Amino acid sequence: MESQPKGDRSGGGGRKVAAAVVDPGHREHHIIPVWFFIGVQLLIYGVLIFASGLLEFSHPPDTVLANLHAPVWWGALLIVIGGIYVYLFRPGRK
Amino acid sequence: MNNWLLTPALLAASGGMVSLRGVDIAIVTIYFVMVLGIGFYLKKYTTSGEDFFLAGREMTAWVAGLSFVSANLGALELLGWAGNAYQYGILAAHWYWVGAIPAMLFLGIVMMPFYYISKTHSVPGYLQLRFGRPTSALSAVTFAVMTILMSGVNMYAMAVVMQVVVGWDFNFSIWVSSLTVGVYVALGGLFSAIFNEVLQFFLIWFGALLIPVLGLVEAGGWSGVVARIHQNFPDQEFTHMWRPMENFADNPMGVHWVAIVFGLGAVLSMGYWTTDFLVVQRVIAAKNIRSAKMAPVIGAFFKMAVPFIVIFPGLLGRAVLPFHLVAQSAATAGQHSYDEVLPLMLARYCGPGLLGLGITALIAGFMSGMAGNVSAFATVWTYDLYRPFIKKDASDAHYVSMGRWCTIIGLVISIGAAYIVTRFGSLMDYVQALFSFFIAPLFGTVLLGMLWKRMTGAGAFWGLLAGTVSSIAMFTMVELDPSKVTLFAFYPQAKPLAQDMWRALWSWIICVAVTVVVTALTKPRTDAELTGLVYGATELPSEGEFPIVKRPIFWAGLCFAVFLILQWIFW
Repeated sequence: MESQPKGDRSGGGGRKVAAAVVDPGHREHHIIPVWFFIGVQLLIYGVLIFASGLLEFSHPPDTVLANLHAPVWWGALLIVIGGIYVYLFRPGRK
Repeated sequence: MNNWLLTPALLAASGGMVSLRGVDIAIVTIYFVMVLGIGFYLKKYTTSGEDFFLAGREMTAWVAGLSFVSANLGALELLGWAGNAYQYGILAAHWYWVGAIPAMLFLGIVMMPFYYISKTHSVPGYLQLRFGRPTSALSAVTFAVMTILMSGVNMYAMAVVMQVVVGWDFNFSIWVSSLTVGVYVALGGLFSAIFNEVLQFFLIWFGALLIPVLGLVEAGGWSGVVARIHQNFPDQEFTHMWRPMENFADNPMGVHWVAIVFGLGAVLSMGYWTTDFLVVQRVIAAKNIRSAKMAPVIGAFFKMAVPFIVIFPGLLGRAVLPFHLVAQSAATAGQHSYDEVLPLMLARYCGPGLLGLGITALIAGFMSGMAGNVSAFATVWTYDLYRPFIKKDASDAHYVSMGRWCTIIGLVISIGAAYIVTRFGSLMDYVQALFSFFIAPLFGTVLLGMLWKRMTGAGAFWGLLAGTVSSIAMFTMVELDPSKVTLFAFYPQAKPLAQDMWRALWSWIICVAVTVVVTALTKPRTDAELTGLVYGATELPSEGEFPIVKRPIFWAGLCFAVFLILQWIFW
């Protein structure tokens, strides 16, 4: 283990810096992209909101413009976007 | 800025403005499960100081850019600025456009190369490299104290909002949110904070976007909104941004365009977006210098769109609500205050499911605000205070452990601060003001430090101190004698927002003047000592090999052009 972050300097001494903007010793993690987590969350929320929107046909809520059934198309939009993100950024995809 | 915070009496209120159904509770619960899951998942990747404090320096431009803008897009921001938009009209959009876009682009194109090339871990870290320990320590101490207090204020605000909007118990909100934030930040460090900020960005947009969309349908488009506002509030100006600012008295804020352009645009916003480590930390975590430059530019495009989900709902409130909102101090039983406009609009259009998504967006905003504060605090405490002054030569693992512990300790102090605010509501005002005391002068110090080779450490220290002290003096003077406001804001009815801008402008000027004088009297460092830290002593990497559409400067130019067009449209 090193005593300070790579490239960090405790003093103000000069050095050639411009070429060192990419640390050659940098190790990269292979983490599942954040977009995948976002996709999962949007997909789950889309399903829940879409389903509650369908229920509103029989139990209309006391909101303005309820006749537009916003939860149905908004939930569908979340499902589509979430599904695309999950597919594109799923773990193991090259 | 936000009246929610000034009214502990609200805590006595019972019930909430909206009631959540089962599906709403499920949506909120899933959010908590997801953020904790991300924290546990990322723990195994957070093994070194660079991982914990700088997210491994491997964020793409998009992730860093969205996190950068999201760190600022807290729920306090959403509720407060929607309320300000109701109170002051579209003038409030200045804080998103002239008060953000030029500064974000300036950070990306001009300042980011120095933060990145110097390989600093923080803004105080840059000050140490450039000026030495005294200036860095002054900046680090003030930042650490203010950051942790702001985290407590966020916590308090969340608990109050949740009590007022959904009727949740104050203590329940404080402890559940802080425990969740503590767990996921302590586990995954800045990795966790950034991941959750990007997640929050999506939740806020999808949770809030329906309000303006349905509002436009109800009001009959933008022209319908303007017509309704004029009909509901004749002889008042709420729909133009620059036209009513030729005279102080022509706009509800009591502000002149000079203060907006120079105080807000040139100093206050520059100070916040380029030197507040809370936001700069997200960009320092980028994987290479081009990503670091692109991240603020990407963030600027999204920041420019935020008024659609924040400012526009406030204006819609003026257009479509069947009753008028009032200042919190004037609200009587049954009346709503300005800051309640966003929850009111949410309840107006959103039924079960959508309501849960909107509430989740608010919770996510509050929690990421806390996480941003504690992760920045952990970095500055560990690297800029603990390491140089307490334990110099410990192992990397020791500093990671310190970072984890001070995340928890920072949250415990924040909880204490949140409960103190419940007893002394006006403390919130002072905490926000204290934070602003340091931002404007710090911008003067960092800007001169990056652009002026001759500047010395002594000049930086005394300039920063003089700017900060002058800002505090102006604030105290008005607190003791409100009539003194004309001495620096030139208008007796200048509202606090207008005063902030003038105070920022003056403290920046004082900082720069003192810096220049002290620098002239002290000996500068050599060029060799300043390599990688200052223009003229640093070889900046060329982007000549990239096509024009892949260069940050191209997108920055495009963003600025869109910004100018928006000013023209809403002039």
